[in-house]
Amino acid sequence: MVRAVAWRNVRLRYKSSFLGFLWTLLNPLLFLLIFLLIFSEAFPQVENYPVFALSGLIFWSFFATTSAHVMGALVENAAVLRSLAVPPLVFPLAQLLAGLFNLLMSFIPFAVILHLFGRIPHSTDLLVLPIVLCFGTFILGVSLALSALNVYFRDIGLLWNALLPAFFYITPIAYPADLVPERMRWIAEVNPLYHYIAAFREVLYYGRVPSPDQWVVIAGLAVLASTIGWVLYRALRPGFIANY
Amino acid sequence: MQSDRPMIELGSVRVDYLVQRHGIRSIKAYLTSFGSKRLLERKRILHDVDLEIRAGECFGIIGRNGSGKSTLLRLLAGIVEPTSGTCRVHGHVAPMLALGVGLEPELSGWENVRLCRMLMGHDRGDMDRVNAYVRSFAGLSDADLEMQTKRYSTGMMARLGFAIATATDPDILLIDEVLAVGDVAFQQQCYRRIAELKEGGCTIVFVTHFLSEIQRICDRAACMEDGTVVKIGSTHEVGLHYHGLLGITS
Repeated sequence: MVRAVAWRNVRLRYKSSFLGFLWTLLNPLLFLLIFLLIFSEAFPQVENYPVFALSGLIFWSFFATTSAHVMGALVENAAVLRSLAVPPLVFPLAQLLAGLFNLLMSFIPFAVILHLFGRIPHSTDLLVLPIVLCFGTFILGVSLALSALNVYFRDIGLLWNALLPAFFYITPIAYPADLVPERMRWIAEVNPLYHYIAAFREVLYYGRVPSPDQWVVIAGLAVLASTIGWVLYRALRPGFIANY
Repeated sequence: MQSDRPMIELGSVRVDYLVQRHGIRSIKAYLTSFGSKRLLERKRILHDVDLEIRAGECFGIIGRNGSGKSTLLRLLAGIVEPTSGTCRVHGHVAPMLALGVGLEPELSGWENVRLCRMLMGHDRGDMDRVNAYVRSFAGLSDADLEMQTKRYSTGMMARLGFAIATATDPDILLIDEVLAVGDVAFQQQCYRRIAELKEGGCTIVFVTHFLSEIQRICDRAACMEDGTVVKIGSTHEVGLHYHGLLGITS
């Protein structure tokens, strides 16, 4: 059932749109363009800035769109949830699955673009997949909690929209993390996104295998977020039906 | 096709809804207390409901707005769980609490049939038969069904919705006031299908405001008031009771 709903979501996202799937690429590429125009001279220490920026942007864009979609999943399907005996969890899960499918499909054009910028494919590139798995679990946890809260407070969506740009600038996506002054470094490190972006960059930009420490952190954050998300969802579920 | 075998058994069922007490104002209070208890208030929607519906029966439920009819159907459909008491429903339930729910305007008729059947808990098997039934009941051509449902008329949507819900013979069919939307021809077609399902042994629970509909198709009925069943009996007895509640003397 999750698969069928996920497929519906994929279809709906691009139905009657002219560019269809290309929209997924547009957002990160637009940001890349801006970064290139503004920042490429600003960080001379970063070698091959386009690859550096894009290896973070792809996953930022995945985070921003998927979290928003999962967050709205319960409220948007209120009519179905009020009149059919469907487990509510189906809809957030299906949005995550649709987002993952989208991301995997976008890897093909992005691989071509990265190659055009002079990046050489490497066998360790496949390590992106387990990182995506951890990242996906993390996003599900966070946005499942948000989707449950969204049933009660519709301004959770507005709040999230306000917070996302702040996260974008706090997370070292456009700039290298070591540019952050030493005494402020902890701010970057308490941000879970920092660790995921760093792991992706380790593989895609530096061509290295992430350290065991990094794996522990990203897997741990995924478990932590999904536990919190699940507990909150379970606690809030009894009131869903009266408050959709 | 009636028998004494009970299909639905409710024993002193109570259903409480958790509703927000203060709304958005208390988002801060919620975050500081970190618990859902203070935020939500228990509201009793159903209480002391005892009901037994037998196999093959067409059972009507009547009552004023807010008397708990829809919640009772949601309970039978498995959408809400009883807070206390027992609720036993035997067999596969086809809920029709709203017509055309889950239909996605951007997708084609066929895609919607597949998707809605899935949401109703049916597997993929038997799709050919389902498709044939939908085509004939809804009176839609293949060209119509290839089309996005957003181009359908209200009547076409209603027919498609009813067809999807009644495609495979369910053991129990729940109908909530959904027939009021269509024209007379549509209503008659639905009544024919309901009669056909009943012939086949299907148990039907039918919720409405209109006494005449209950008297037309139901064998027995119940009247609800303030979240509980106040009268069970023949459609005539229940009708008199309901009129008494409304203050209508006949």
